Amino acid sequence: MTARTPTDDVRIVLVYSSLLGIYGDRGNAMVLARRLHWRGERARLIAVEPGRVLPDDADLYLLGGGEDAAQVSAANAMRLDGAINRAVDRGAVVLAVCAGYQIAGHRFTDGNGVDHAGLGLLDVVTERSAHRAVGEIASYSDILSGDDGWLTGFENHGGLTRLGASARALGRVHAGIGNGDGTDGAVTGRVLGTYAHGPVLARNPALADHLLELVLGRPLAPVACAEVGQLRAERLAKAGVTEGLRLSA
Amino acid sequence: MPEASLGKERTPLGVRRGSYDDLVQPMATSTPTDVLASEPSAASGRTRFTLAKAAGSLAAQVSRLTGRGSGVSIRGQVILKLDPNALGKSLAGRRVAVVSGTNGKTTTTHLLHAAVLAALDPAASDRVVSNDDGANLAQGLTSTLAMSPDADTALLETDERVVGEVVRLGRPDVVVLLNCSRDQLDRNHEIAALSAGWREAFVAAGVGGPTVVANADDPLVVWAASAARRVLWISTDSRRSLDAGLCPRCGAPLPPADDGVWACSSCGLSQPEPDYVVAAGEIRHGDRRYRPSLRLPGEFNVGNAAFALAAAHVLGVDPDTAIEAMESVQAPAGRFATVRIGDTPATLMLAKNPAGWAETLPLAGTDPVVLAIDSAAADGRDVSWLWDVDYEQLHGRTVIATGPRATDLAVRLTYADVDHVVVPDLESAVSDIGRPVDVVATYTPFQQLRKMSAR
Repeated sequence: MTARTPTDDVRIVLVYSSLLGIYGDRGNAMVLARRLHWRGERARLIAVEPGRVLPDDADLYLLGGGEDAAQVSAANAMRLDGAINRAVDRGAVVLAVCAGYQIAGHRFTDGNGVDHAGLGLLDVVTERSAHRAVGEIASYSDILSGDDGWLTGFENHGGLTRLGASARALGRVHAGIGNGDGTDGAVTGRVLGTYAHGPVLARNPALADHLLELVLGRPLAPVACAEVGQLRAERLAKAGVTEGLRLSA
Repeated sequence: MPEASLGKERTPLGVRRGSYDDLVQPMATSTPTDVLASEPSAASGRTRFTLAKAAGSLAAQVSRLTGRGSGVSIRGQVILKLDPNALGKSLAGRRVAVVSGTNGKTTTTHLLHAAVLAALDPAASDRVVSNDDGANLAQGLTSTLAMSPDADTALLETDERVVGEVVRLGRPDVVVLLNCSRDQLDRNHEIAALSAGWREAFVAAGVGGPTVVANADDPLVVWAASAARRVLWISTDSRRSLDAGLCPRCGAPLPPADDGVWACSSCGLSQPEPDYVVAAGEIRHGDRRYRPSLRLPGEFNVGNAAFALAAAHVLGVDPDTAIEAMESVQAPAGRFATVRIGDTPATLMLAKNPAGWAETLPLAGTDPVVLAIDSAAADGRDVSWLWDVDYEQLHGRTVIATGPRATDLAVRLTYADVDHVVVPDLESAVSDIGRPVDVVATYTPFQQLRKMSAR
């Protein structure tokens, strides 16, 4: 764990938005900061663009989605920089989404069939799928409990991701494609990846709080937001996750 | 007003068309195994095209009579089904101008249309055809052109994905490229690929290719347009964010430009010296300065006018004539029209993607303000983009969130700390207000509101 004291701001790094921020990915940073704020906690958002040095002493790193060439460029820059790997070694938390999820693995194949090295933070490898996965995705994650375990999002990717022995899936897919084997995403230690892209934390506040609790090392008081509950009900229903199914989870 | 030199270079009056089959190149959609698509002779090709057009008109009529729609799209679908080469045949022999990009196509096409019409004798207005309704895919273009067989000038709003095909088949005189920004990524997965496709079309067109009127501020447009035979560069004072994270030529990271002028430090691709500059409501071109009094709000519409002005100039329209004509354009395809929904006078604004919202949202000044969100195919099925829009600027006002994705917007506004009310039904969200209100809507609710107001 990094040397943070309870009074410190939670330092959240938005990594390379111009490359990995194709569709509302900054929303995850906004959700995390606001949810801390609602509990009287302080957040500091640090947006780092390529060409700038990434801090290695932050608490939480956010990797978003991007186009093929941008993904390769971002992966190379992050590997060269090394800060995120050092931070994870010290106990930092990472949320890696879509292209960012692929980058967090050992390697990924681009649209031209060329292999690229990833960061190796997650024990996964990604190959190219013959079909692009585009649409709503719903999965159930055991790292959360009860109804909160239902994760809802939108996926738009061409990857097939295989999990190694030191990774476990983030969730079991109920609707959509995810990794391509009936699971979505991966967890290795304090690094989480998912194909539910863009502002995934807006639809899944329990996942947002889970990340913050990993950082803080203590549970957060619940906050009620009726509209988020309504949104979850609408999107899960759209993906065929009915109320009965949700209650039985 | 003297008639401008429309048609002077290539298609003198009265010496056009009738020989289109000789000019047409086969389309990629035709395959040797497709009996319908193979054309043994020019005569049978003409017959097929004529029959296809007749069938298309019938389909359009049925669609209108049964109240299903305007028939524009179905006509084009039927024509292209019966004659896969119909788009090329419809374009042949005409002077063509293409307007494309992710934001501002419809408005710019309307401005250009007004400018070109002003240069003609009013009695000759049927010489010009334009898809003013915004049907901008292959079927919409084919349908529009089939309706006006005698027009020798076609001003075509063209979907980003169809530009290459129209450049190849229609050999346009001028192509306007407004911008290349994130839009409906569930369909267009890579904006970099769009830009690369445009570039390929200009390379293939070679010395016979179009003059391109292109946005110098947008790296993806610059890379595409710089392959064209001739380019007129436009620099606008717009608030559009640039979506090129990487240099489109060499792939090096392209950091956001601090002073508004971008350059790749790796390969040197940089913002070209503009031919037209838009700043503070003024268009500068050489020693000339124009300050159009448009009926359309927003600095970005002065930018659109600059693109139309340059394109009109390529087509031979005198600039003063063009400016005066553009000043008369009002509510292009319903944009910024004030309509009555129930007892509410509502000003309708369209915003389809983050760049469009960045331009339009500052113009919506009422309190409350209505925001209507849908995720039908035409809107893009993924509403993740809501998190790329700066709704925080609405602090202190109340938003009425409506449309099928109103809840997604409500959550976004909650996190933005903006007061809001959700009224799922679009019509009552507007009609219940009872006093003038600004409405910003994605494509589907925008069209639904236009229809409601026409009832």
